[in-house]
Amino acid sequence: MSEFGPTVKAFLHQLILAIFVVIWLIPIYAMVINGLKSEFDVTSTPVFIPPLHPSLTAFAAVWSQLDVPLLNSVIVVIPVSLVATFIGAMAAYYFYLLSVSKRRSLNFMSNTIFSLIALATFMPYQAVIIPLTRIEANWGLLNTYGGAIFAFILFYIPTAALLMSMFMAVLPRDIIDAARIDGSGDLRTFFRIVVPLTIPGIISTLIFNVIEMWNNFFIPLVLFNVAKQTLIPVAVESFTGGYGTLYNESFAAAFLASIIPLLIFIFLGRYFIRGLVTLGTGGKGAV
Amino acid sequence: MVVTVKLSKVTKTFKKGKRNVEVLRGVDLVVERGACMGVLGPSGTGKTTLMRIIAGLEVPSSGEVYFDDKLVSTSNRIIVPPENRNIGMVFQSWALYPNMKAYDNIAFAVKNKGEETRKKIEEIAELLDILHVLDRYPRELSGGQQQRVALARALAKDPSILVLDEPFSNLDARIRDSARALVKKVQKEFGVTALVVSHDPADIFSVADVAGVLLDGNFAQVGSPLELYDSPVSARVARLVGEINELDGVVEGGKLRVLRGVVERRDCQDGNVKVGIRPEDLRVSETEVQGMISLGKVRAKVSSYTGSSFRLVVSPLEEEKVELYVNSDRPMPINSEAVLLAKPEKIKVFKNN
Amino acid sequence: MATLEGRSRLRSILNKAALVLPTAALSIILLYLVLWNLYYSFTNWSLFHSIPEFVGLLSYAQAMSTVFFRSSFVHSLELSGGLILVGNLMGMLLAGLLYFVRSSKLRTVYLSIFIAPLAISMAVNGVIWLWLYNLQIGIDWLLVRLSLPALPWLSSTSTAFPSMFIVAVWAYSGLAVLFYLASFMGVDKSLIEAAKMDGVGTFKTFFRVLLPNSYQGVIVATALLFLFSFKIFSLPFVLSGGPTNVSLQTTVVYMYYLYTTEFFAQSTAIATLVTAIAAAVVIPFALLGLRRWVRRE
Repeated sequence: MSEFGPTVKAFLHQLILAIFVVIWLIPIYAMVINGLKSEFDVTSTPVFIPPLHPSLTAFAAVWSQLDVPLLNSVIVVIPVSLVATFIGAMAAYYFYLLSVSKRRSLNFMSNTIFSLIALATFMPYQAVIIPLTRIEANWGLLNTYGGAIFAFILFYIPTAALLMSMFMAVLPRDIIDAARIDGSGDLRTFFRIVVPLTIPGIISTLIFNVIEMWNNFFIPLVLFNVAKQTLIPVAVESFTGGYGTLYNESFAAAFLASIIPLLIFIFLGRYFIRGLVTLGTGGKGAV
Repeated sequence: MVVTVKLSKVTKTFKKGKRNVEVLRGVDLVVERGACMGVLGPSGTGKTTLMRIIAGLEVPSSGEVYFDDKLVSTSNRIIVPPENRNIGMVFQSWALYPNMKAYDNIAFAVKNKGEETRKKIEEIAELLDILHVLDRYPRELSGGQQQRVALARALAKDPSILVLDEPFSNLDARIRDSARALVKKVQKEFGVTALVVSHDPADIFSVADVAGVLLDGNFAQVGSPLELYDSPVSARVARLVGEINELDGVVEGGKLRVLRGVVERRDCQDGNVKVGIRPEDLRVSETEVQGMISLGKVRAKVSSYTGSSFRLVVSPLEEEKVELYVNSDRPMPINSEAVLLAKPEKIKVFKNN
Repeated sequence: MATLEGRSRLRSILNKAALVLPTAALSIILLYLVLWNLYYSFTNWSLFHSIPEFVGLLSYAQAMSTVFFRSSFVHSLELSGGLILVGNLMGMLLAGLLYFVRSSKLRTVYLSIFIAPLAISMAVNGVIWLWLYNLQIGIDWLLVRLSLPALPWLSSTSTAFPSMFIVAVWAYSGLAVLFYLASFMGVDKSLIEAAKMDGVGTFKTFFRVLLPNSYQGVIVATALLFLFSFKIFSLPFVLSGGPTNVSLQTTVVYMYYLYTTEFFAQSTAIATLVTAIAAAVVIPFALLGLRRWVRRE
């Protein structure tokens, strides 16, 4: 490669990267532009061409079916994410305390519990739908907010605990020791010192949870069987079927379902990325 | 409420891979109420472990720790956890809470947050000259100010004992002296039992009443700083406490011969010994000086200036390989010769170890 | 005196308990659900046996002897294995390209674009790609315009699975890119500078310096790709319009299919199988890879 001058290499580098970026963007590009197509555009143009006569008819058509699910998603996902992140952070601090304790037994316990939490996070949650639906049916929680909230809390607190424990591992020992010496109990230390110190981690975890919970398809699929009373990913799926479905409606629905997590990702995603990269580089690098 | 701290045969063993490392071996220690004790030793020899055991952050493998008459730690068991020992600790890194203002840092450990507390904190702050920065965050303060806030935090809780871990090593060299003087003044004024742990003898000298040198897991010597300086029990202790030249000597019939000098030392046994002389106890001169004995003629190898005095490296004429450091008030031209004089009472004799 | 200490120790225990109690309670519930699965997998509970009886491993045998199980299990393996292979390669490639981008802002933008598919629901991604795979107006339209052969994508059993695989790669490679990039950025800058001063080209730097020092990235990326691919449900579901398309069915979808057809015991059998596999992968990974990556001691 030494025959190629540096400018040629740089150009190739940019070009190849740009090609990949464009390829990656195509589906999202399609989602954005096709929702704006009128009926005429739909029947005459393929998905790659921008709309000739942009119109909001598709959005208007899908809105009547998506307004309730959208609201449901907001009501369920936002509070549960906050609660899950907080509770997960508390558990993460507990593991941190276990891991720095000098007693061998506690260290072992911390490793075991960490493995359990990791398992709970990465286990396919689909595997426990039957018991879950049984329990919820018995308690009359199917098709209710409570049912979705219970399921999400069950599955996403371990995720929050895992993520936060990664962020907690880099807490400065000295400051925690100083708080102990200053007579601060574990709860007080958690709220007054650990939380302020781990705000970047908390935000990262929160962002992750909100996006994952919002986008979860399986849980609302299983817990809700009334057409409109569901969460947004399931509602969107109903726009796929059937012969003669107009694709602008599918894309408009897709767009509506994705706008919130995408906006969160666009504006706050850098904190999440920065948080993970800082972890990955042991606190050194910045993207 | 200050206490007397007593350690009885405290041992601490760490596991490093497959081996056991004995960091502390049967340490006995008493720090009287209101006294300031310094612990001196090279890095990694157990000073920090000793300090953490007293604070309750580590548990002794065996032995007991008492605060006054109360047993607070025993073999493999912490009876009174650190949060109940009311320890005032100044960490090497200050360990200030970054999300709280200086005032809140200081007040964090104090239980009653009333008017009295506010007054007390302001008094302490004034004494430590940080009154005007109380509502700033730690990141907005200079190193010296941060250290004083850490000190105020330790004092504000009326500690049972004040523990300082290498308290001056993170400070600019220029302000270390005033920081040391401040700590000494505050310790005396509050009458608080204190323990200073450091590898820098200057810290110990300026602040401590009593000092101990921690070597190989135990105290090689405990005494006043001056005792340690003038009468170290071994060459290692002497080296830790200050600069010292080491020479070979022979004792015969109550007389010590070192280089070309002879000194009466009736209390020493005959045989080969190691002799130690500090640079400030040596002089080079053309003439005799009262009170000093001659060790023979020397030639100057290096003559440098340290800002307040001159530092010479000289060698005896007969032994070119031996090099001695001498503090002098005037320079000496390289390769010139002079007579090396020493204060006889300051010559230290160690067994050959 | 004794009670004072006793009280403070009690307070300390309560403090710690408060921290972990909610999570512990939920983990116990999860464990209970898993055990519930296990219990019912040994029965014959289904539409035909609404009162379950103990039948040992019969349900396992029934569920696993069908052609559906074999094909769905193979699909899961292909999906996971393929995703690990291709995902890692894409991750390394794209992270390598990104690492040498000068502007840190541009790098973040590009990285975000590669990760963006993860910010969208996989079900929604499925909807989008359904249309992209449409034979008239999707990718084929472009291919025909470029005089390239049109492909049957989802409409043919032989190309349906690869089509889904492409979507999975598009969606999940971003994970690998993120962790590889993080690994690369963690490599000591002075190594890179030394290489530059020795006149080592970018390719060599990539292969000799960046990659070998990023084995942690490989471990994390591989494990994450496996675990995510194992859970994939919405993608095959949406691309097939339901759980019944055999060529796209993965093990988890098969499990759901059994559930919808009310073969509950068999469904729990597959569910237990899936959980066991996940545990076998996660636990060593958590103990070795993740912990070490996090602790950095």
